Amino acid sequence: MAEELVLDTAIRDWVLVPLSVVMVLIGVLRYFVAKLMRSPSASPSPDPKLVKEGQVVIRARNLRINSQYIPAKAFKSRKVYYTNEENGLLHVPKEEAQKAQAAMFSDPNMAMDMMKKNLSMIVPQTLTFAWVNFFFSGFVAAKIPFPLTPRFRGMLQNGIDLSTVDVSYVSSRSWYFLNLFGLRGLFSLILGEENANDDAQKMMQMGGGFGGNPTMGLAAEKDNLDIIQHDWALPKMEHHAEEVLRKLLKK
Amino acid sequence: MAAAAASAAAATAAEDGARLLRLEEQAGHGGGGAWEYLCLARRLRARRPEPVLRLGLALLNDSSARSRLASEQWTLYEQVAVAAMDCQRLDVAKDCIGVLSKQFPGSMRVGRLEALLFEAKGEWTDAERAYALILENNPFDQIVHKRKIAIAKAQGDMALAVEYLNKYLELFMADHDAWRELAETYVALQMYKQAAFCYEELILAQPTVPLYHLAYAEVLYTMGGLENLQTARKYYASTIQLTGGKNTRALFGVCLCSSAINQLTKGRNKEEESSELQSLAAEALLKDYKQRAPSKEALITSLLKNMKLS
Repeated sequence: MAEELVLDTAIRDWVLVPLSVVMVLIGVLRYFVAKLMRSPSASPSPDPKLVKEGQVVIRARNLRINSQYIPAKAFKSRKVYYTNEENGLLHVPKEEAQKAQAAMFSDPNMAMDMMKKNLSMIVPQTLTFAWVNFFFSGFVAAKIPFPLTPRFRGMLQNGIDLSTVDVSYVSSRSWYFLNLFGLRGLFSLILGEENANDDAQKMMQMGGGFGGNPTMGLAAEKDNLDIIQHDWALPKMEHHAEEVLRKLLKK
Repeated sequence: MAAAAASAAAATAAEDGARLLRLEEQAGHGGGGAWEYLCLARRLRARRPEPVLRLGLALLNDSSARSRLASEQWTLYEQVAVAAMDCQRLDVAKDCIGVLSKQFPGSMRVGRLEALLFEAKGEWTDAERAYALILENNPFDQIVHKRKIAIAKAQGDMALAVEYLNKYLELFMADHDAWRELAETYVALQMYKQAAFCYEELILAQPTVPLYHLAYAEVLYTMGGLENLQTARKYYASTIQLTGGKNTRALFGVCLCSSAINQLTKGRNKEEESSELQSLAAEALLKDYKQRAPSKEALITSLLKNMKLS
């Protein structure tokens, strides 16, 4: 694999540059389309239960983390307030938990929202991929100026099934993928920091939509509260205060 | 780690505050930077109505400066309106709100300002009706909930304020500013048990703020009783620790608690080891007074003697 491949300059002018430009333009277009689709439901009124549950979790977490700063009696009464089995703030009845989960999946509104979000991502991606596949598949489009180990072959030479070509040559379809995932920095430059093109973030959101069930947060927090031991830190504070004062007086 | 982050945040806050004052000085003497000052004041939520009103109004009256701000001018109108209400320049506020409501008809943010104007005029029922209207559309508007509490307080109806606060906290129970407000209201109403609960909540939310420890100790001391007094002294001690012994109130608190405890347990099981804290606190007090208010040193000496601490 010693001999150099000579790449036609026409490939540069008709494949490499157009592909990059098109990818950037599509990214910008997608940003604006997503913005358009988002705007009608700009401020969805939050569900009162969700708001409240979020706040309960914060407060319970505060109790768990800083419990050593309040007297034992105060801690005990709060613990009962949060975790008792009848009407504790963190207690979620079993059937309700299941119901919430079911509602989560069957809520058409939410599915619709997600569809909208994904549509703006998937449709142009499929189209561009088909376009790239149709016109520019199966040949080398560029060469990167440094050598790479063969492990990168899958990443850089997608669409070429030749094991003899040096890994630093990039196939056209791989160039498409590199652009697809590598242009994020450029987009954040063009479109501002919080652009909607952050694919990774979207994936996270999608995962969070299903996994971050608020009732689950409540239950987890309840378990955490159940197991902590109260250890009042204040008696030690008197000694610390003495030391502080002694130091102050010595000065 | 957390302490370092907190101190870093405090440092930047202090820096911002200094910058705010510097810009205020500069802009006040015609040195420019009025817009920077107003932006910074808005970001820091500094309540400096007089300079904001003066500088903001100057900007708004200068049509070329206003057009340079483009869409930012509406924020400025809002800021100036609020500052004007703070200064009781209701005519200015009314003009600003008029411009805004022409620009954004039916906007909730402008509606809030209009309600605020009613409040400034003291037309409580109108204000409440306006707020109720906003809440109908958006029941989770924290600012409006807080304004309703403020109206109750302005009318002197503390019981109603407490009721509103409790209702608010039922929903937004992680809002520690509201807990603080409730605690202070309870103290004003002399409902110390409830106030103590609120301060416990505040300590849980922000355990490194010495003021909450101090306030909690004071409430406990006011309630009295041996157990409460002992707990109060512990919290005074933690205040001393958190402030590095710089808080005079906490030093006095330790002395007062100790002497009260001594009176209650007279003769019976003497407190061990803790006696050192109070004598140290007394010494620190004496030293502090010697340094900063020598003329009152005799007073403090006799006071401490009365408490049998020195």
